[in-house]
Amino acid sequence: MDWISTLLQAPTTSIFWQLVASGVAVGMIYATIAFGYQLTFATSKTLNFGQGEALMLGAMLGLTLLPYLGYWLMLPVILIFGMAQGAVVERLGVRPAIETKSEFGWIMATIALGIIFRNMAENIWGRDDLKFPSPLPETAIELGTVRILPAEIMVVVGALLMMAAVETFNRRSIYGKAFVATSNDIDAAGLMGIDTRRVITMSYAMSSMTAAFAGVLVAPVTLTGATMGAVLALKAFAVAIIGGLDSALGAIVGGILLGVIETLTGYYVSTGYKDVPGLILVLIVLAIRPAGLFGRRTIKKV
Amino acid sequence: MLKVQDLKAGYGRVEVLHGLSFHVPKGELVTLIGSNGAGKTTTLRAISGMLRPQSGAILLGDADIAGLPSHQVARRGLAHSPEGRRIFPSLSVEDNLRLGAFVRLTGVREKGDVEADFDRMYDLFPRLKERRAQQAGTLSGGEQQMLAMGRALMSRPEILLLDEPSMGLAPRLVEGVFDTIRRLKEEHVTMLLVEQFAAMALDVADHAYVLENGRIRFQGAAKSLRNDPAVRSAYLGGH
Repeated sequence: MDWISTLLQAPTTSIFWQLVASGVAVGMIYATIAFGYQLTFATSKTLNFGQGEALMLGAMLGLTLLPYLGYWLMLPVILIFGMAQGAVVERLGVRPAIETKSEFGWIMATIALGIIFRNMAENIWGRDDLKFPSPLPETAIELGTVRILPAEIMVVVGALLMMAAVETFNRRSIYGKAFVATSNDIDAAGLMGIDTRRVITMSYAMSSMTAAFAGVLVAPVTLTGATMGAVLALKAFAVAIIGGLDSALGAIVGGILLGVIETLTGYYVSTGYKDVPGLILVLIVLAIRPAGLFGRRTIKKV
Repeated sequence: MLKVQDLKAGYGRVEVLHGLSFHVPKGELVTLIGSNGAGKTTTLRAISGMLRPQSGAILLGDADIAGLPSHQVARRGLAHSPEGRRIFPSLSVEDNLRLGAFVRLTGVREKGDVEADFDRMYDLFPRLKERRAQQAGTLSGGEQQMLAMGRALMSRPEILLLDEPSMGLAPRLVEGVFDTIRRLKEEHVTMLLVEQFAAMALDVADHAYVLENGRIRFQGAAKSLRNDPAVRSAYLGGH
């Protein structure tokens, strides 16, 4: 039990805080993808299981466009591409299932579309991992004894900005309120004159947009390749369960929790066990708070 | 204003409405009464597009709206305060009302003065003003009913469909609901009211249709139905 005493002394060492910092960066990517799951779940009680591929496509296309557009012009193009990709997934995979009242059709359909997108990417960009150049300096910034890459800071800031933008839209604009109304009661929303089918399509567009953005953010920190999204999407799914499927704050806290636990386990225990504590956390949350740590139960009086 | 012709509708293969015809003239209050399961709620759902009718015509003004999805029916000026109120529980009272005006705020229908209509609703339902910032899910049943009616009125509808506004309310609150309906009638709001409290509905309505097993059994001026012995014994408990 050597590692226990190592762990207990850990917070006094700089490597510990170094690991926490990288864990937070990874965790924010999980949080962004989990946030994307929440968007579609809110409107249609469905999820895009090809979310990882939406992320991957954002990163790969971003890499391709980079030499032509430069980083800052590439970003809006990727956001628009992400929206279009999400809308396609909804129209091809989800709407038919919703309209035929197929309870699980969308699961298979979104997984299938994800596999198709991954295969397409392998054929277009090859199977090798590529390097995504960061728009920021590659030299680490020293905060006390902790060294942080500017690209990692950008992950955290970018993810928070994206989520804040979507939340502000939902709370302030009439279309955002229509989104919330649809998630509250889809039939009643229709009676208000809200085209709820379009709201669902838009939620998929926004969900894939956040994923594509997350892809561009994470690509300089990790490697870029056709399979980069699969594991991230799975981890983000765990985060959505931990944090709850209806709380942005839950996604952030759950993401950071999982990211930090992973990096710490990878260093102090073994990289082989990196994924175990996070999954145990999922099991614990499911057992004691099935709606997630921040899952809300709306009060409903009849 | 609203003319329903030979409307057939149901759920799956079960036909609930076997060919209803009735109409609601502009500025009048028409009520549909009848026992549980007679098809009152199904009628309103078929009109507002929550349920796709199997056949028949539903004329709103000159246009046939039968089979249109509910958001398109709403955009043509029909508001439906549905059974069970169906307010948006996680949104504030004010946002619920604002969403009632969605068709106006998004330019589908004439905008008019939305802010003035907020004041009008708060004047009609002072309790809602007190609770304007509160989450709608925390309101009492009576307050939720006020909100459901206010939300429907915020669209400035050509016609308002009210499904069992008295359901589950204490007698004192039921009085309040009917007072509101009377007030709307004085303002010449065209209304189609579905009620189980047949006596109260006949008191406020101009015209009434009695539904039985998906068919219209009686119809006539509300006052004359109120005094009709057959209607009294079957639907008014002999009072």
